[in-house]
Formats: sequence, C-alpha cells, structure tokens
Amino acid sequence: MFFTCLSSQVMKQELMMKRHNNNIEEQVAKTMMLLDEIQPIKVDHHFRVRLMQRIEREFGQRSEYSRAGLRNRFDFRLAFMALLIMVNLGYALLSVQHNNLGKTSGISEMIDNLSDDYPSQEFAYYDQTSAYPAETVTTESKTP
Amino acid sequence: MTSKEESFRALVAGHQEMVINTCYRFVFNREDAEDLAQDVFIEVFRSLEQFREEAKLSTWIYRIAVTKSLDHLRRQKRKKRFSSLKRIIGIDDPIAEIADSNGDNPAEALVGNEQAVILQDALNTLPDSQKTAFLLSKQEGFSNQEIADILKTSVSAVESLVHRAKKNLHDKLYAYYAMQ
Repeated sequence: MFFTCLSSQVMKQELMMKRHNNNIEEQVAKTMMLLDEIQPIKVDHHFRVRLMQRIEREFGQRSEYSRAGLRNRFDFRLAFMALLIMVNLGYALLSVQHNNLGKTSGISEMIDNLSDDYPSQEFAYYDQTSAYPAETVTTESKTP
Repeated sequence: MTSKEESFRALVAGHQEMVINTCYRFVFNREDAEDLAQDVFIEVFRSLEQFREEAKLSTWIYRIAVTKSLDHLRRQKRKKRFSSLKRIIGIDDPIAEIADSNGDNPAEALVGNEQAVILQDALNTLPDSQKTAFLLSKQEGFSNQEIADILKTSVSAVESLVHRAKKNLHDKLYAYYAMQ
C-alpha cells in the first residue's frame, strides 16, 4: 500500500516535471518561431529621397569643406612664404647695417689712432703747413 | 545629375529592400533598420570607387549592412549597460526613457512584444558569427553560399555556425524560461 502510494506520487511528480519541461519547450519553440514569422518590411517611398538628400548634404558640404581647406592651405602657404621673405629681408638689412657700422667705426678708430700717435706740437706744424703747402715744402727741403 | 549619382540611384533601387530587411532582422525595429540602411548606402556611395570586384557588389553591400547592424547592437548594449549603471547610481536617464517609449509602437509586430525582447536578448548573447549566420539563414533570399560569401567563409562553416547558433539559442531560452 505504502509502495503503491509512493510510486504514484513519484509518477505524479515525474508527470508534472515532464509537463513543466514540455511547457518550457513550447515557450522556447514559440519564441524561436518569431524569427520565422517576421514579415519582410516594405520600403518607405521617402527612403530614397531622404537618402539622396543626405548624400547631397554630406558630400556637398564635404566638397565645400575640402575647397575651403584647399583655400586655407593656400593662404597658409602664402603667409608662410611672405614670412620667409620678410625674415630674409630683415636679415639682409641687419647684415648690411652691421657692415656699415663696422666701416664707420673703422674710420673713426683710424682717426683716433692717428691723433693718439701724433699728439706732439711738431705735428701742429704739419697741420699748419697743410694750410700753406708751398711754405712747408720749402722748409722741409731746406732742413737736410 | 551626374552619371555616378544615376548609377547609385539604380543601385539603391535594386538593393534597398534587401538591405533594410537584413538590418531589420538584427535590430527588430523599422526606424533603426531604415537609419542603418541609410548609413549602409552612404558608406557604399563613399567607397564605391574603392570596391574591388573580388566579390559580387550585392555581397559587398550586404556585408556592410551586417557590419553596421552588429555595430548598432554593440552600441545599444553599451548604452544599456551605461543607463543601468546610471540607474544604480541614482541618475535618471531621459534618453533611455525616450527610447523605451518609442518601443511601444503598435504598428510594429515585434516591438513591444515581450517574447521578441527575450529573443533579442538571447540572440545578443551569441557570438557575432553565429548570430549573423543564423539570422541571414532565416531571411528569404540568402542562400548558404551567399551567407558564406558575406562572412568570407565556406558553406560547411556556415552550416555549422547555424547549427551551433540554434542549439545555443535554444539552451539560453530554455534556461531563461526555466528560471521563470
């Protein structure tokens, strides 16, 4: 009696489990069936219009951008060239100025040296004689 | 109109239906599918000159469609993760709310359908190659050879991918319903 009761309970449980599993399988199958049931969608007639508008917008803009980019690049090159020319000119001007300064300083240095080398009174004579060249020549020629 | 534009128009007319439906298989949403299809054709327009005739033009276009769809799913996944993180922190995400409310569109057969959401979640756990092979095999118009060309693999590999995808999907769905 006990065993028959136990076995019937086990059988009941097994049946319930089987039913439960079948239920799950059914749900799984139903869910997977969804993929087979998907109906292909019809294409909206505005799709192509929107696409062409987008292409026009994106690629039109892009070509404008690239043109602007080219212009910018060109402007940049011009500016760079102008800068180079200015730097060269500036350098040339500076070096010329530097050379001129060297020359003028050389001349003034020579004059200073001369005045340093002949500071005595005798040379005042030469200075004077330079004012009267004829006299100077005569005195000099007489001296020896 | 230039000859390039004219030929492109013809190309779109010839492939738009297949491209939109391919994307729709992946994203389960008409609007997203159309947006993706637009992205696909923009990409085609951009790189049409670089197309080397190693594969059929249609195969190349469908490959772009598949790539774009998978990218979209990945983005969606990231967004979901981010919004759930925000929810945990306690910041409301208005974008997520808008996206959810858009989902309740009665015109769509799949959107708003609980089973469809479960199916999509299960599909998203599959590896990309299995998912792609399985979804394309379910779509009319794709032979196993074409799927193999899109995935750059052999027909037998496609068959194996489809088989494994089916099994994995079944197991995942079974586990899900058993937990309920």
